[in-house]
Amino acid sequence: MSVARHDLFLDMKRFLSLIIVLAALGGGGYWFWVVQSAPLAANTSLTGYLAGDDIEGFAQATEPGGISLPADLGAHDDYQTEWWYYTGNLETESGRQFGYQFTIFRRALTPPTEFDPDSESDWRSNQIYFAHFAVSDIDGGAFYNFDKFSRGAAGLAGAESVPYYVWIEDWYVQEQEDGSIDLWAETDEVSLALNMTLTRPPVFHGDGGLSQKGDAVGNASYYYSLVDQASVGTVTIGEEQFEVTGHSWKDHEYSTSALEGGAVGWDWFSLVFDNSDENALMYFNIRKEDGSIQAQSGGSWIAADSSVTKVTHEQVEIEVLDTWRSPRSGAVYPAAWRFSIPDIGLEMEGRSLLPDQELSVAQVYWEGAVEFEGTLNGEPLTALGYVEMTGYGE
Amino acid sequence: MEISQDTYDLPLWRTSWRRARRRPFQYILFVVGVAIGVAMMVSIDLANRSATRAFEISTDSIVGRATHQILGAPTGFPEEIYVELRRDLGYELSAPIVEGYVNSPNLGDLPYRLVGIDPFAEAPFRDFFGGASQSEGELTRFLSQPDTVIIAASAAERYGVALGDDIEIDLAGVGRTVQVVGLLESSDGDESAALDGVMFTDISTAQEALGFVGVLSRVDLIVENEVDLDLIQGILPDGTRLETTAASGNAIRQMTAAFELNLTALSLLALVVGMFLIYNTVTFSVVQRRPLFGVLRCLGVTGQQLFRLILSEAIVLSLIGSLIGLVLGIFLGRALVGLITQTITNFYFVVNVRSITIDFWSLGKGVFFGVLAALIASFFPALEALRTTPNASLRRSTLESKVGRFLPYMVIGWGVLLVLGGVLLQITDNLIVSFAGLFAILFAFALVTPPVTMWLLQAAVPLLQSVAGAVGRMAARDIMRSLSRTSVAIAALMTAVSVIIGVSIMIGSFRVTVVSWLNQTLQADIFISPPSLSTSQVSGEIQPDLVAEMAAWPGINGIATARSVRVLAPDFGRDLNLIGVGGDRDVSQGQRTFAWAPDGATQESVRAQFIAGEGVIISEPLVLKEGISYPPAPLVLATAEGEKSYPILAVYYDYASDRGTVWMDDDLYAADWGDRKISTVALFVEEASETEAIVLAMQDAFAGRQDLIVQSNLSLRTNAIEVFDQTFAITNALRLLSIIVAFIGVLSALMSLQLERARELGVLRATGMTIRQLWQLTLVETGLMGLIAGVVAIPTGYALAWVLIYVINIRSFGWSLQMQLDPGYFWQALLVALVAALLAGVYPSYRLGQMAIASALRSE
Repeated sequence: MSVARHDLFLDMKRFLSLIIVLAALGGGGYWFWVVQSAPLAANTSLTGYLAGDDIEGFAQATEPGGISLPADLGAHDDYQTEWWYYTGNLETESGRQFGYQFTIFRRALTPPTEFDPDSESDWRSNQIYFAHFAVSDIDGGAFYNFDKFSRGAAGLAGAESVPYYVWIEDWYVQEQEDGSIDLWAETDEVSLALNMTLTRPPVFHGDGGLSQKGDAVGNASYYYSLVDQASVGTVTIGEEQFEVTGHSWKDHEYSTSALEGGAVGWDWFSLVFDNSDENALMYFNIRKEDGSIQAQSGGSWIAADSSVTKVTHEQVEIEVLDTWRSPRSGAVYPAAWRFSIPDIGLEMEGRSLLPDQELSVAQVYWEGAVEFEGTLNGEPLTALGYVEMTGYGE
Repeated sequence: MEISQDTYDLPLWRTSWRRARRRPFQYILFVVGVAIGVAMMVSIDLANRSATRAFEISTDSIVGRATHQILGAPTGFPEEIYVELRRDLGYELSAPIVEGYVNSPNLGDLPYRLVGIDPFAEAPFRDFFGGASQSEGELTRFLSQPDTVIIAASAAERYGVALGDDIEIDLAGVGRTVQVVGLLESSDGDESAALDGVMFTDISTAQEALGFVGVLSRVDLIVENEVDLDLIQGILPDGTRLETTAASGNAIRQMTAAFELNLTALSLLALVVGMFLIYNTVTFSVVQRRPLFGVLRCLGVTGQQLFRLILSEAIVLSLIGSLIGLVLGIFLGRALVGLITQTITNFYFVVNVRSITIDFWSLGKGVFFGVLAALIASFFPALEALRTTPNASLRRSTLESKVGRFLPYMVIGWGVLLVLGGVLLQITDNLIVSFAGLFAILFAFALVTPPVTMWLLQAAVPLLQSVAGAVGRMAARDIMRSLSRTSVAIAALMTAVSVIIGVSIMIGSFRVTVVSWLNQTLQADIFISPPSLSTSQVSGEIQPDLVAEMAAWPGINGIATARSVRVLAPDFGRDLNLIGVGGDRDVSQGQRTFAWAPDGATQESVRAQFIAGEGVIISEPLVLKEGISYPPAPLVLATAEGEKSYPILAVYYDYASDRGTVWMDDDLYAADWGDRKISTVALFVEEASETEAIVLAMQDAFAGRQDLIVQSNLSLRTNAIEVFDQTFAITNALRLLSIIVAFIGVLSALMSLQLERARELGVLRATGMTIRQLWQLTLVETGLMGLIAGVVAIPTGYALAWVLIYVINIRSFGWSLQMQLDPGYFWQALLVALVAALLAGVYPSYRLGQMAIASALRSE
């Protein structure tokens, strides 16, 4: 089964609706949608959210090379959907492994053309922010996940470019004076405090950052990554504190668009290899109802200097070796893969570090730490990374 | 033993039933007596509870699961406090609220609580929206579009408002059009009732509509442990405070307690009058059956059986009466709730009651007191039936001679009860005890009525003889001879009439005091205010540009402004009215009178200190209600910067609010609360004759900009008096009911009395009495009784008035009134007693006149 992540952007718009809906069901947030959305929420398929969104008045991703940093680090309110997506693999000095996901989402409720920003009240906004935070305690066999909702107003949540600062209430990622980035998320059960340092330039996916998701012009996102950020900090679980180091992967995408009709979910991989070339891989498949893979599915084979070799889904072979059934949702997720890109000479097998890394916050999906082992042109290599899988519900 | 007794009681019951069928009139009177008393009690209780409950439900539902609240100045506190709570503390169990009251012409022109919320923060607190029929698009509009609201489906349906409709809301004369983007439904009765008066909007719209930009009314919190509480407390700046939700609710509820207790006491008064009625009818039923009872006793029926019979009758009849009373009470309650609600809104808080809640506790209480009153009233007659010997039962004169022996004890009882009443009024400020004292005094006078009647009649016999001849003497003797019954009728009438006198004097004194106070206080010529839901507090503001225009208006040579808000006085644990006074003139022109001022202080010296911001002036009700002693210690208020104490320069008489009012110079107020808004404006004209022209010109000029009420001094005073009368409308209603009870009571007593004498009158007629003389005799007799009741009612009414004015009013509301003894009240009361009594004599006279002499005699 071949997988794609980029189409997420198109999907993500619907995905965000879904998240909002489900968040409400979870009791965590947007109660307005509770009743209205209940029938939809019961169906974890994305297709219901993919059709008929009115994107009139929103900006769309159409320009190759349209991303300009650091100006584009912050929020793009003219686009319907945006997220700052952090995942990372961490371990203590003694080798105890942790994974984390920290994502802040933004969604515009109305197009900029329909919103009057000249409001007396600081609270008026057409921007919703929400966040997912998960910690995988690999050796402890436990997975913790949380979410948070807010409006992008009154200082409660927002995203700024210079200095870089994205926050939702007390959770944030924030640029420090020395240029490093602090990440902070705290809940009653677990908390995460990280300091991240860039190790390489930004990676622009697709066509110079324009990541096409569907056939139509504009069915695309602007997408760049900051991969392999050196990370050091503290994971707190209950009363226990763990000093950790590792690497973090940040994706930032913004778009206004829908998935092509018929998509049911996606699989997304981000891997950082330990080979001498310090390669990294981003790859996504968008799965369609008929079992086929969306044509634009694909990824980036990333070199140490962040130069990108585009990978199409025809070049990739993915075989699911094992599955895991969620006792909560009943969804059956892949749990081990054989993954090869013959054109590059990559052959590997991998598995989830912890079977149960299913988020059951607003939306139910699987996002978890994985490890891979194999060869690149005959040279052995291993990788740590994250996989996201959506649309596996019944 | 039990069984055999039951068997023997059955024939007795049959005698009761026979009697009820033959002479239903007295039983009907009994039932009416209970019914009226119960109806009064139940209606007041239902109306009171409906108003309180409406308030509680709305408060509780809005508060939701919040355990604590962050509160601040009346004009709100900076919204950054909430942002800090969320961003720095990450405290998720918190929800910001901006709320106020608006009026909606499209929704029945009633006050609605506009509650501005942040939907993202709501889930832990309130789940009204579980049944919401919003669509996603509409809800997106709720959040992102200005001026969208969600209202209760029930209110929408009632007023024909549909989803997507535009409706008008009005806040202090500033209109706004909002769109209904959601309808809330609730299957829970209380919640549904609560939602009915609420309009939800996004916090951004609420801030703009209510003039709360940048600030919040409160932050709701759920705090489960001390650690969190300390953390939150730690970030709160001066001027904000953390309170439990229970505490804030209680403070508000306590304010109406005295008001409601007063109404309850008045309704009890009706029951007391009803008790006389019952006593009267039961006494008659016993007295009239004396021959029967005598015979029964001779046949072996025990006294206990007769005792039980009388009390059983009382229970059955009082149950019937109570049930009728409940039905009447519910109807009456519906009528009263509007009056009570208006008064509560005027003086305490906005409450919006559309129907009464049928509260089973109130109904049960009504039945209980109805039956209890009947049992107490029947006890002595029943005892009488128990005690009399078979032989004596056949003669009425034994009872009368006993009454004669009791007369001295009654005088002693009067003295004892008076002393008891006086002691009860003295020992404590507790209102319930005070009312007990009042009732003791009332009973004392009722008790002394028979001896006074005897004494007055004995003294009057010669006079009557000379005026009306034999008929006059006979009438007086008849009354004295039947004192056991006549005195109860007189006492009942006296009680009712004295209540009328007492309440009339109290209201009259109040009115005179208020009118003269208004005349002193309102010296300006033109008064301008935004429309307000409550008469005692202006909730809105006048737009600043309009104030400037008013001040510069041609022909205006002086302006006084006032900012009216409510602030917390931590020492008293409740809100006070605060008025920030500005402008270049004093609205009362120095005419307000001091209830207290330091020695040597003059109007000028106090005003100079006041303008200099050296202290505040407070109202007398605050002093009286909080028991402040002179000279008053500085008053502590919760300002926007924290608690601050203000020296008290003087105490003014005030009748606008029993909450207590603090006047402060506007510069001092602005410095401590950061608020420069103006709620009301008073203007002085150069030429008094131009006042009306200026009023009209201003109304024209401001139309379409802000809907302001511009009125002349005269019309303001008229309105103020209207509000006063409206406030006492309920008291008046009670007074009217007392008159009705009194009338029915005396009518029933006299009719029974006269009808019982059919045989005696038959003899008189047979021996030559003309019908004209019969009428004379009856009317002189009832007239005498009315007159005596009226005469005794005068000192009684005066005593009641005194207690109401100098004890009850001061303890309940802190209003000190000058007692006004208008002789009219006494004459009217005397007239009411006399007319009621004379009218009551008409029917018996007519009946007796129609009766054939032979048949009257045959009844022997």
